[in-house]
Amino acid sequence: MIETVAADTISIANQVISKTDNETISFPNLWMWIAIIEFILIISLIFFRRKSESAREQFKREAKAGEIDFGNIINSSFHVKPLYDELKVKCHPDRFSSDIEKNQVALELFQEITKNKTNYKKLIELKELAKQKLNINF
Amino acid sequence: MLENTWNRIIDWFRDRSERSQLIRSFNDSAKNAFIIGEAPTLLKAKISKGERTYRHQFSNWLNSGYRIQAFSGRQLAKDEIKHIGEVILNDNVLVRRLIVLGWDTLEIHGDQGIYGLRWQLKDYIALPQ
Repeated sequence: MIETVAADTISIANQVISKTDNETISFPNLWMWIAIIEFILIISLIFFRRKSESAREQFKREAKAGEIDFGNIINSSFHVKPLYDELKVKCHPDRFSSDIEKNQVALELFQEITKNKTNYKKLIELKELAKQKLNINF
Repeated sequence: MLENTWNRIIDWFRDRSERSQLIRSFNDSAKNAFIIGEAPTLLKAKISKGERTYRHQFSNWLNSGYRIQAFSGRQLAKDEIKHIGEVILNDNVLVRRLIVLGWDTLEIHGDQGIYGLRWQLKDYIALPQ
């Protein structure tokens, strides 16, 4: 009698153990995969976010690196027009059509003058260059 | 995450300080030029409301306009106001700095009334995507 009860108890205990084992094996697998997917999602979000921030941060850093010459900006606002008008007339390449070398220099100077037509400081430098290279009297 | 937030807070305060410094530097240069007679008109920079439709990714929530106003001296003509605007917009370094410090609108005003011209800063510099 006792042996039968013991045998039944052991068989029931075995069934319970095997059932619990199955549940504990299948559930960790499921949660592990959910955790892996979440981890990949978080890493990818951080990676893409950092990438977009770095372009923005780089632009900001570069923009803050340059020096601003407000004195030149104020001077350019009021004095650059007459200087540009004078330079564009006196350094025009057509005035040096007889001399090929000077014509080339004048062409380069004229392009620089046009490019910097609102930069007073640069135009003053180009004026000095024109005096030296093209022998122009201003 | 915490470090990122902390850096953003520090950046915000640093940008505030640089904005004020930029305005102050412009005003000092304009004042000196007017005193020594280089500039016929006293220019003064200040922060304005700005135009909402000119917003870009670096824009401030409020007060995104950089206004330059002509004070005393003689009255500026429309061509002169336009020329001052062109001088500023042709200076790439200045335009970039204005953009990253949160400004999106450049306004040049005369002394009288609300007459002036307005430019959208993002049209003059290629911004990062």
